[in-house]
Amino acid sequence: MSMTPRERVINLIQGKGIDKIPACTGFGSVIVDGLKKYDLRFAHVHLDAQEMADAAAATVELAGLESAIVPFDMGVEAEALGATLNTYAHSEDILYPTLKDKFVSKAEDISLPSDIANAGRIPLVAEAIGKLKERVGDDAAVGSWMLGPFTLAGQVMDLNELLKMSFKQPEEAEAILSKLSEMVIGVAKAYADAGADFLSLREMGATSDVLSPRSFKKQIKQFSEQILAAIDIPKVYHICGDTNVIITDMADIGADAVSVDQKNDLAASREKIGEDVVLFGNLNPWEVFTEGTVDDVINGVREAMGAGADAVWPGCDMWPDTSVDNLKAWVKTQHEFEPRRKA
Amino acid sequence: MGTDERLQELLSKLKENVIEYEEDQVSEAAQALVDEGFDAYVGIMDGLAAGMEVVGELFDSQEYFVPEVLMCADALYAGLDILRPHVDMTGREEVKGEVVIGVVEGDVHDIGKNLVKMMFEVAGFTVHDLGADVPLADFVEKQISTNSDIVALSAMMTTTMMGMKKAIVSLHEKNPDVKIMIGGAPVTGEIADVFGADGYSENASNAVSEAIKMVGALRRM
Repeated sequence: MSMTPRERVINLIQGKGIDKIPACTGFGSVIVDGLKKYDLRFAHVHLDAQEMADAAAATVELAGLESAIVPFDMGVEAEALGATLNTYAHSEDILYPTLKDKFVSKAEDISLPSDIANAGRIPLVAEAIGKLKERVGDDAAVGSWMLGPFTLAGQVMDLNELLKMSFKQPEEAEAILSKLSEMVIGVAKAYADAGADFLSLREMGATSDVLSPRSFKKQIKQFSEQILAAIDIPKVYHICGDTNVIITDMADIGADAVSVDQKNDLAASREKIGEDVVLFGNLNPWEVFTEGTVDDVINGVREAMGAGADAVWPGCDMWPDTSVDNLKAWVKTQHEFEPRRKA
Repeated sequence: MGTDERLQELLSKLKENVIEYEEDQVSEAAQALVDEGFDAYVGIMDGLAAGMEVVGELFDSQEYFVPEVLMCADALYAGLDILRPHVDMTGREEVKGEVVIGVVEGDVHDIGKNLVKMMFEVAGFTVHDLGADVPLADFVEKQISTNSDIVALSAMMTTTMMGMKKAIVSLHEKNPDVKIMIGGAPVTGEIADVFGADGYSENASNAVSEAIKMVGALRRM
């Protein structure tokens, strides 16, 4: 009996044998055609569990993508800590929600909710996960994700101050990261309890475009390790940007798989980390999936697989204005390849 | 010690301590320069700005990362705050011009914009900083109310960069003479042309020379 797409995604992440490579991602993949299908407004899908689930399920239904991911915006953790979310409800364009209020300047400014699973929109996302699982069944793995503590810190405090603090007051920075790690662990548990099949930890703030590899190793890595150690379901670790210099640190950080984006030289990463690490990446969501033709997608998938990816992931969230045809081309081309680990 | 030597000594101290992000040393050198009657403008250009240029190179070669650059910027500002009030513009070109700067709506990444703003200030521009996540209408309103020569738009993400296109059309509609320059991680010269921008800058130092060219063009009109 052949595996289901859901089983394939779970096994893929865990480095276990599969009979076919699923086309999947750990990041948001809501598309405009999906919003249209369920008559949804982008600004509102972040605020309603049913709408969120519908929007995520639509991509599976329309394009055959084998993962369904919620939430879509990056404000969940910070909002639950006290920031205000701006959904740009007035806008005609698609604008991802952003956060207002930088309310943290030192560790004691952070008050962790006593019941993280019920703070802010965390229960809403958990509910969406539950609804999504019922909807997609075995056709797709249901995934969710959390921001890493350094990235989260950059949202709730002035990023300039955080960056300088990492140099000038490292203990204070670490105290902040420690508290935020607790928060992220609580969020991860809530999503896992709601039935998520896998989780991604996204620490884009720690990209080597911004922070020195030395800072990453000395200060940031340990917190990601703590968080990943506390997660019992399949887990993926992602940092955007030029991460070749820290790829070995990413590979041994305690995730089941590592994800990189288009600025990472995937072939060079594969060489550095060896054949055993599960590596996802690394197509430019905008250039390839949104602006690209079907042929661009096909070539992109082939290139990334040739460079040594276990499966092709986009480098970040899918931009909603992406055609179903492009996504279908990704799915079809992904299935052409033999898994590195066969069932 | 001759005055030339002493000036060089102070300029060196300014430059090196911007590079080493030693705020107190920069302040000390700046104050000494003022107290000893040297030209504050030279201090800014050949001391502070020269230091920041090296910082830019260290960033490009990945020896310095963003935290280091931010600390260097703080050191530069420490010197700038002391030197600026003493700058004597007689015999020099007038104040370079006025700039409205901001990060486009939907985008909250402002570190790059802040560095460009700093370089404009160092060069003597008057900068009106709208901050980040700035609605299009605010750019237009500010340009009109300040009659700024230049509007500088920044975006960090490809998706928010798309908002620049509309902003440029709108700004030019209201004031065809205003010069618009754009920059940010996803922005390229080609995109700047396609969007109808008047100028484009790859980094903060280039932003200033671009801006000076554009203001020069305006003055000649």
